[in-house]
Amino acid sequence: MKGKTWLFWGGLIAAAGAVLFQTSYDVQDLEEKLAGLNRKIVTEQESIQVLRAEWSYLNDPTKLEELARAHLALQPTEARQFLALDAIPMRPAPTPDAAPQAPLLGRGVNPALPASVVPVAATPAPQIASARIPSPKLSMDKALERTPVIVPAALPAIPTVKTAPIKPSALIPAAAKPPALPPAAAPAPQPTPAATPAAVGKLAPNAPLPALNRPTDVASRPVAPSPTTKVIAAGMQQPKPTDSLGMLVARLGANR
Amino acid sequence: MKFPPFGLPFRSLSASTAPTPRTTLAAAMEQSRYRLMVTAAVVTTVFATIGVKLVAATLFSQGGEPRQHHALELDSTTTNRADIVDRNGNLLATSLVTQSLYADPKLISRPEEAARKLVSALPELDYKEVYGKLSGDKRFVWLKRNLTPKQQYAVHRLGVPGISFEREERRFYPAGNLTSHVVGFTGVDNNGLAGLEQGFSKRLNEDPATPLQLSIDLRLQHVLRKELTATIQEFSAIGAAGIVYDVRTGEVMAMTSLPDFDPQDPTGLNPDTLFNRATLGVYEMGSTFKIFNSALALDSGKIRVSDTFDAVHPIKIGRFTINDYHSLHRALTVAEVFQHSSNLGSVRMVQLIGIAAQRAFMAKMGFMRPTALELPENGWPLAPNPWREVNSMTISFGHGISVSPMHTVAAAASVINGGVFHPPTILRRQPGAEIPGEQVVSRQTSDMMRRMFRFVVADGTGKSAGVKGYVVGGKTGTADKQKGRHYQKNSRMSSFLGAFPMHDPRYIVYVLVDEPKATAKTYGYATGGWVAAPAVGRIIKQIGPLLDVPTVDENAPEILNATFLNAAGSTNWAQQAPNAPSSAAPPPPKGSTVASFPTPAKPR
Repeated sequence: MKGKTWLFWGGLIAAAGAVLFQTSYDVQDLEEKLAGLNRKIVTEQESIQVLRAEWSYLNDPTKLEELARAHLALQPTEARQFLALDAIPMRPAPTPDAAPQAPLLGRGVNPALPASVVPVAATPAPQIASARIPSPKLSMDKALERTPVIVPAALPAIPTVKTAPIKPSALIPAAAKPPALPPAAAPAPQPTPAATPAAVGKLAPNAPLPALNRPTDVASRPVAPSPTTKVIAAGMQQPKPTDSLGMLVARLGANR
Repeated sequence: MKFPPFGLPFRSLSASTAPTPRTTLAAAMEQSRYRLMVTAAVVTTVFATIGVKLVAATLFSQGGEPRQHHALELDSTTTNRADIVDRNGNLLATSLVTQSLYADPKLISRPEEAARKLVSALPELDYKEVYGKLSGDKRFVWLKRNLTPKQQYAVHRLGVPGISFEREERRFYPAGNLTSHVVGFTGVDNNGLAGLEQGFSKRLNEDPATPLQLSIDLRLQHVLRKELTATIQEFSAIGAAGIVYDVRTGEVMAMTSLPDFDPQDPTGLNPDTLFNRATLGVYEMGSTFKIFNSALALDSGKIRVSDTFDAVHPIKIGRFTINDYHSLHRALTVAEVFQHSSNLGSVRMVQLIGIAAQRAFMAKMGFMRPTALELPENGWPLAPNPWREVNSMTISFGHGISVSPMHTVAAAASVINGGVFHPPTILRRQPGAEIPGEQVVSRQTSDMMRRMFRFVVADGTGKSAGVKGYVVGGKTGTADKQKGRHYQKNSRMSSFLGAFPMHDPRYIVYVLVDEPKATAKTYGYATGGWVAAPAVGRIIKQIGPLLDVPTVDENAPEILNATFLNAAGSTNWAQQAPNAPSSAAPPPPKGSTVASFPTPAKPR
């Protein structure tokens, strides 16, 4: 009887010891893993920081303007390219039979629309023949919700879009000066960045745009003959495009 | 108990005095019992202490040693200094981790071999210099700071004993020169030496996880700098300063001072480039000060915009004679004084107001102390003390008091934004947060000043700043520069303070050009209207769309209602034929209160 008790307690102690032993090694393993993960996180954070710095460096407006001037036919937007929303005639309410016509509307508003279907609230809007309607897919109500006060009436044609290039001056008839905003709308309720209406208005029509307009493309395109890259690479032995930190450090001018 | 006499043994005494004789054995037994008890007490105490500590260590402290590794916090950064970002989140300054190479010469057995190897891996190092460093007897020498990962790998591969790497941070400015005067720069050890890096050095180091967000907009900054550079080139000027300012919040949207510097390498250049003309430089502003003179006159209630003042006869005070740049040889209304920038008219206006009121008003406008801007480069204005009559006269047209461009812009903003002076800031104001402000002029005065601003651009010295669609207003300024004790005729500061849209002002664009030289294109003029105003016009044209300012028709009734003013001081635009601005100056209105000051007795 006494032997059995001893055996029981002895076994229990041995089992507890074994479990404790195992656990302590498990913990040690996990600790090592954690340390490894922490190191990795720090490395990742550091490289994210490098990439962010590089992104900002490549997005320097001065450089972007040089690149845009060299490779794009775009000009800075001007005041005359903006119109108050009230100046744009409304699209007719979508009727079932009008649906197939919808894509055609991207080219311009049919001037012969009956006045009754133009639901402009107070002011009878002047008919601007070639004002582009932002999106052929959206109903006008939705477009109104999304579009801020200013809508670009005419933008310089993007050369890569399949449509024939339209001169901006041709898009605004001389008579269609931007009419005054009604007093309520005058103090611009929402200061939204001007890029938003441009993006809504520019990208929607003629939907399949080439990937050129993605902002990353300009940066990642090989621009070897451009003089700017030579400036970047000066002072360092032609860093590979992947060597971001190398490029940045070379620019730091710290290699003295 | 009686003590035995000295020298006698205790035992014999006790044996002789005790009633029962005690044997030696009994005494020994007693003694050893005491000893045992003492020992037992000591042992018990020690073991009890050990037991208590054991219980405390095992049960009450959270088990075992403190953990060596903790999971990193997700939003923490690896660097010790916070980023600086613009109002849209673009990076303006950030810290990058790099490795720097150092050596312990004591551990290097063969310096010439180590130096040869190092130079082969890092060709930009000089062999002699490296050899000199490695063979010295210091314990620590820097070989090269901020290696790229590739270079680090190459050095690692050499396997030279005694050299190692140190993790270092390096401040990097992706925007480069664009924001150099705002952001400033740091030294080798990442302590701020100029600009915000210096002003917020403590904050950047204490809270490295939260970036410091500025009110600067990088796009506006670019436009401003580009146009200033073009203006400097066109007029061969020695410098320029520009500010874009939000009149409703007091935020500085863009600020440039040219020439500027590369913040990565600020020391190698001309120290003149480190000078911030926009905030540190104080200048006599010239005619832009007529903004404040007119606001003072209108706000006093003593002068109305249609009152006329003599602008024919020069004013003599002491040895000075005050005259007009282009005299019109007739009396001018307040509107015309502003339109043609008449010195004589301004002086006569302030003579009516009084010296003390002028001084108090200038103090209210913040011209007596540095601005509230957070930059360490914040100039003290040079105001006359005592403020005599002659000072009062010259200050009315902007001479005799020197303030920084930032002073001028902040004060002008308060004149046109409804009369509330907001302290200027370079940090972004949180949306919804209360904007500190102080009413300095009345709403009516502010409304009239808007009209006067608009009048100058619609039909005055600032026509070239006009941009169709954005109702621009403003005031030109040209001041002769003082060299030594004298004013120089042909070195001047030309400036233009423009604001738009004038029916509901939102932004001020200010351009100051230092010593522009006239060109053939400007018919030999280098004044504010010819130099700075066109630059302001070009800037507004480009930043208007970026700032999302709605374009309006300038001749629409509701715009004219808010901005119209003619030379006679009338705000009723309907009387005027539409689209026919008052080209020829109409005669001064008859019957209005003529407040012309008596002319000096001695006409010259």
